Amino acid sequence: MTKDTHIVKSYGEELQFLNDSIIQMGSLTESLLADSMNAITILDKEAVDRIVQSDKKINEYRAKIDTQIMTLLVKRAPMAIDLRITITALRISQDLERIGDLAKGNAKKMLPLPQNLSADLLKSLKRLGALVESQLNKSIDAYINKSKEIAVEIIKLDSNVNELTYLSIKEILSFLSKDTKNLEYATNLLFVAKNLERAGDHINRIAENIYYLVEGDYYKKK
Amino acid sequence: MTKEQRLQKRYASEKRFKSYGIISICLALTFVALLVFKVLSEGSSAFVKTSIQLELNFDHKLLNTSKQPTKEEIEDIDFYDFTLQHILKVFPTSNRDEEKQLIKLFTSDFEFEVKKYFKANSDILNKVITLNITASSDLDQLHKGNYQRDIPENRRKISNFQLKIYDQLLEKKKINKVFNNYFFTNGDSRNPEIAGIGGSMLGSFFSILVCLIISFPIALLAAVYLEEFAPKNKFTDFIEININNLAAVPSIVFGLLGLGILLNVFELPRSTSLVGGITLALMTLPRIIIPCRASLKAVPPSIREAALAVGASKVQSVIHHVVPLAMPGTLSGTIIGLAQALGETAPLLLIGMVAFVVQVPGSPLDPSASLPVQVFLWSESAERGFVEKTSATIMVLLGFLIIMNSIAVYARQKFEKKWI
Amino acid sequence: MDLMTDTKIKISANHLNVFYGQKQALFDISLDINQNEVTALIGPSGCGKSTFIRCINRMNDVIDICRVEGEIKIDEKNIYEPGIDIVSLREKVGMVFQKPNPFPKSIYDNVCYGPKIHGIAESKDDLDAIVENSLKKAALWNEVKDRLQEPGTSLSGGQQQRLCIARAISVNPEVILMDEPCSALDPVATAKIEELIDELKQSFTIVIVTHSMSQAVRVSQKTGFFHLGKLIEVGTTEKIFKNPTNNMTQDYITGRFG
Repeated sequence: MTKDTHIVKSYGEELQFLNDSIIQMGSLTESLLADSMNAITILDKEAVDRIVQSDKKINEYRAKIDTQIMTLLVKRAPMAIDLRITITALRISQDLERIGDLAKGNAKKMLPLPQNLSADLLKSLKRLGALVESQLNKSIDAYINKSKEIAVEIIKLDSNVNELTYLSIKEILSFLSKDTKNLEYATNLLFVAKNLERAGDHINRIAENIYYLVEGDYYKKK
Repeated sequence: MTKEQRLQKRYASEKRFKSYGIISICLALTFVALLVFKVLSEGSSAFVKTSIQLELNFDHKLLNTSKQPTKEEIEDIDFYDFTLQHILKVFPTSNRDEEKQLIKLFTSDFEFEVKKYFKANSDILNKVITLNITASSDLDQLHKGNYQRDIPENRRKISNFQLKIYDQLLEKKKINKVFNNYFFTNGDSRNPEIAGIGGSMLGSFFSILVCLIISFPIALLAAVYLEEFAPKNKFTDFIEININNLAAVPSIVFGLLGLGILLNVFELPRSTSLVGGITLALMTLPRIIIPCRASLKAVPPSIREAALAVGASKVQSVIHHVVPLAMPGTLSGTIIGLAQALGETAPLLLIGMVAFVVQVPGSPLDPSASLPVQVFLWSESAERGFVEKTSATIMVLLGFLIIMNSIAVYARQKFEKKWI
Repeated sequence: MDLMTDTKIKISANHLNVFYGQKQALFDISLDINQNEVTALIGPSGCGKSTFIRCINRMNDVIDICRVEGEIKIDEKNIYEPGIDIVSLREKVGMVFQKPNPFPKSIYDNVCYGPKIHGIAESKDDLDAIVENSLKKAALWNEVKDRLQEPGTSLSGGQQQRLCIARAISVNPEVILMDEPCSALDPVATAKIEELIDELKQSFTIVIVTHSMSQAVRVSQKTGFFHLGKLIEVGTTEKIFKNPTNNMTQDYITGRFG
């Protein structure tokens, strides 16, 4: 797309650091999301501990990336693609942090699975979780390869996320109507579903930002 | 060598270099001081002249004229006879030879001095007035101590009799030194006591004036054209080389030019300041063109561009902006060129400004000498009285040069303050 | 082609080629400058932007070996036609240079020189009014109104440059060319001049050559990127600096080469 090296090497290195930080933050968010799904579905206690650590690290990355972006703006007055790299890094880090918060929130709502639970209950939810995980994974891919094609795929699949959320909520509500003993549990599951949808929205925004980064223009739905 | 030693060596060589400079300056100043001292010591005495007090009775009978003489009658008065009567009374003697010697103590012009005084002061008729009559050159030199008294008489210019009169007059306090106004008002003369630089000063003044009027405009216009408007090609390069060379041509060559063309072809009057001025102008032209061009070159192109950008034509930008900025340098060059012209002797010799001219010139068309030529003429003369006058003339020349250079410095400062 | 229908094209260069002796400095430049806009020309050193801007007021005529082919039209009239009065052209197209170059005269004389030689003023009062007006438009009046007779060179660098702008304005031009006007000035003086440019564009068409990318972004509406004598890309300033089409343009403005 353009030459890689700036005349001032440290400028290029600063941008590269930003790039790498986002990728690492993305990986952490990925594992955090996976862990949170495990915490809900198979009640993995160790996963919960990992989640707290990961979330802390993600927040650290966020802070570091913020500082780096401020420095870049002041020092370099970036233009064109450099400006887009900087701004999208800012936005993506915000979205990643929110995804991490949502995933952590989900894990904390974990309760001992009630007895006599229908295996179907969590079916759509699991599918939703898997989809969201794959979207996030794709988005990090898209970012690493600066691929607008992958970004467009993510954007197009966002409607699936909304559908699956709807399905999951329907299942949980029907469970609730039959089994009022596990009210708290079911309610929490509702929140989990909504959070997953919101995580999907954030990932969608990440994809839109990656598209903007590459194209210089916002994605227009046809 | 260690760093310390190198440092010391460097300091030592700096000190040496400085001392070379100071020695050079001292040497130069010494030479200047010697020159000034010699000229001053020899020449300062020329500014005073010895005079003898003479009592004159302006009785109209002695003057051989009526009680109330008309202008024509005054013109008819024989002042020579009248004054002679009174001179002989100073030291009466019966010896004709001694009378002659007595008369010789006074300037040969004595009757004109008395006549001038009489015509200027009409109320002195029938009164007794004591006048200071200029002494002869020999007496003047004797009084100034330039003649030895203790050599045999036949080797002296002053006879024993004359010495006797001199000593007596000295005792009676009738011998005075007064300011030598003749030096500045009179033209050249064979008699040193009444010879002056009046003629040559005016001759120099007119020559320089003519030189300035001719050379400055031509040089300025030529320099402006060559620097600003002329195309840069081989021909203009050729012209530039020639101008530079002309500045170094020996000035006597210009004298030949003046002789050959101005006098022979154009038949301009010989020995006049006009011809002298034109010859000097030819010589001074390149000496003004060169500094003028250098000053024009030194004007930064940003000024020219600024003028052009605001819509001035090339000519306007040159006249309104470039030339005024080049003026300090041009004026300096002009005045220095003129000062050089003032001191030129050789070309003026060739065009005849070396003639023995008694009358002070009234215009550039009258024949005259110039100051440096006057120095040359007097230095060749046998009379002792001319020695001090030669040095005095040099002093006057140097004085003018100092004044002109000071004007150059002042004008330069004044212009630089105004424009830059 | 213009994006807005009501912008008039003031200056139009068509297939302009400029040579210095055997060396070609500008290659087939075609560029439109819009009226009452600031157009910035950017590019690395020696790329020809100064050469181009000096063609607009024919200052290149001063250089003997400079040869211009092609045309530059101002208000539809080609200024390289034979018979064009250069003095009138330069009355219409003013120029401000990189290093402030006020005349070594008084402030008043600096500003009134142009009107005087063009015969614009009819009386001394007229001249006074023109001087005051020009200095006011150049945002210098308040600082110098009490010392108009002092030499122009006694002002600070920024003030001198504003004086040069006042001088350029005094003949009521339609176009003002600026060749790196702020490169010799401190940041505060630069900011004042940029503010001035913003106001001036309402009355004049301005073309500015600048080495400072950020200045080009701040002051201009249209930008042209030159490189090695060719016009690589031209477009609205926003487009050029946010998302240029040409890779070379992007490399230059992000500092990947220069």
